[in-house]
Amino acid sequence: MLTAVGVRAALPHRYPMLMVDRVLEIGDDHIRAVKAVTLNEPWYARLGPSPGDDDLAYPDFLLIESWTQTAGILATRLAGDAADGQVMLFGSMSGIDLHRPVFPGDTVEHHARLERAVNDTMIFAGESTVGGAPLLTIGQITMAFRPGDALAPPAPQGS
Amino acid sequence: MTGTVLAAARPVRGPAHDEDSGAWTAGFTVTITEDEPVFAGHYPDFPIFPGVCVMECVRRAAESAAPPVTGGLRLAAVESTRFLSAVHPGDELTVDITWSPRGEHWRCAAKVATGRGPAASVRLRYRQEGTPC
Repeated sequence: MLTAVGVRAALPHRYPMLMVDRVLEIGDDHIRAVKAVTLNEPWYARLGPSPGDDDLAYPDFLLIESWTQTAGILATRLAGDAADGQVMLFGSMSGIDLHRPVFPGDTVEHHARLERAVNDTMIFAGESTVGGAPLLTIGQITMAFRPGDALAPPAPQGS
Repeated sequence: MTGTVLAAARPVRGPAHDEDSGAWTAGFTVTITEDEPVFAGHYPDFPIFPGVCVMECVRRAAESAAPPVTGGLRLAAVESTRFLSAVHPGDELTVDITWSPRGEHWRCAAKVATGRGPAASVRLRYRQEGTPC
């Protein structure tokens, strides 16, 4: 298990983009983690005075981000020293099914497993549940480690 | 509104309807400024616009140019997404959307680019909600 301290040490993400609260289990090729959704999330800061139920659904794509960060913790552990000084990036994803919305008060559980690793690229699959019910099916997400300086913002163009 | 991205999608083209295929197309631009809240944590001292936020820009643009179907459309799946280059503060995204009917679903395919070239391709699947009584 990893507490929030361990999660924070494993991922470079920070508020408001750190979306794993606790790792329940981590093995050689799989990981389980949880993300709790609260009404105090920044995404709800700009709600109008009388939001409807749909307005309080947690943003779907952040659930995918949260799942991917879970897989990223496993990827970082598997990469070991090779991940030092590198940035972990999403390469691609496919076959992501969204089964239901989640709301403040829900706790989401992510399951990710390593399908394949080729050089510096890892392919993960899995699912997420909320209260035991299906939330996400993740067909495939590809992540790669790249040198940080290869991703630096472009220098301003001189005129 | 609930959202991860401050920037608005500004329409620059369409929506246009192709009678033969049933497709709808539209074009947008989205200016990503350093004021986006996600940059604070993605990553500190190293701002990269998160891939899921690129997807959110696509979603907002697409839903503002959704085909006129009875009962509305609800996002059901991300069929595929490829991230081709990083998006940074100050980039202006161009987003080209194509909605295509697929039986009871609609597919939304999008190409996203910055001034440096292609940034992402995204395919979403929407379910048509039941028609009201």
